[in-house]
Amino acid sequence: MTTDRPDAPEPKPGEWPSDWLRATLGLLALRALEAGPSYGYAIIAELERNGLGVIKGGTLYPLLTRYEAAGLVATEWRPGDAGPGRKYFALTDRGRTELQRSRTDWARFTRATTTYLDADRPSKENFA
Amino acid sequence: MKTSTPDKKWFDELIIELRLRQVDGAAIGDTVASARELLADTGQDAEDAFGPARDYAASLELPRDDRGLWQGAALWSSLAGLIVFLLFTQALVPWARGEPLLFAPAQMALLGVTVLLIALLPLYLTAAIRHPWLLGLLFAIGGAAGFLSSVVAPATPDEAWLVLAAAPWLAGSAAALVLVSLGNTVRVLRRGSVDDITDPLQAPASRRKRSGLVLALVTGWLFPLFAGLMFALVTVFLR
Repeated sequence: MTTDRPDAPEPKPGEWPSDWLRATLGLLALRALEAGPSYGYAIIAELERNGLGVIKGGTLYPLLTRYEAAGLVATEWRPGDAGPGRKYFALTDRGRTELQRSRTDWARFTRATTTYLDADRPSKENFA
Repeated sequence: MKTSTPDKKWFDELIIELRLRQVDGAAIGDTVASARELLADTGQDAEDAFGPARDYAASLELPRDDRGLWQGAALWSSLAGLIVFLLFTQALVPWARGEPLLFAPAQMALLGVTVLLIALLPLYLTAAIRHPWLLGLLFAIGGAAGFLSSVVAPATPDEAWLVLAAAPWLAGSAAALVLVSLGNTVRVLRRGSVDDITDPLQAPASRRKRSGLVLALVTGWLFPLFAGLMFALVTVFLR
């Protein structure tokens, strides 16, 4: 089987397969809050700025709601300057621990996948 | 922020879906406010940003409020209020005319249809709200059952299956109406709110919340209020 798909369009910068984003969004959202409390649009903008694509509110908010229920983030409403108020999300101690754990696991996982996907690595080494 | 018409429809649907999931008013207010916040920031339409309201409500997995007004004590006290009110209306005219209270099996069965429609409300409420035609059909069935029960009501004691003295039943049902409403009042006051959808930035003891509480208390006395009005009319015109 060949994986060469000349007809497949090149993905645009920041447009990743949706299942990749689904798998990593939780970790990325925790990372976006590591520097301090933030709100929905700022989290989405931060992820987009870092080349991770445009995350929809319909994807981000349910995740943050689940994290709030799990005690990984705490929320606080603050009055807006001109528009509506803003709901700020902040990492709790448990959320910070979860971020560290996920970050370490993710680094191990990506090292393993990158090593395995390495083009120079013999693909049939088991048969050698 | 002014909400455009498609967004207004989307938010209305979102609130209904969350209510059907028995999410409490404060959590609904929080969800609505955070969605509005993002739409104000991005300029997107609600449907584009969050997808269909029903799917979004489901994806939030917000906890259910078991004290919901849609179920439990609220439903059963409304049902009890309705049954007693039906009894009061049946006894009122015979009492005013000095006649006995007459019942026929068909008449009682038809009155039972209305009671059954309310008792089974939890089973079909979600479907009825999502499909207005079903709600219309249920109203039509309830209305037809009420009308037909008056058509088949016996005219003389000979036609009746059950003959009762009207005055005790009238007095008893009036007292029961007051008791049911008193129970409603105690329940609402104990709860302390009517589970209004509140803005997360609004003070908890706002005027809106108090007015909602007053409205809930008045609503709990609607059956005795109508009964009193009917009693006054019948006393003036038939006695």
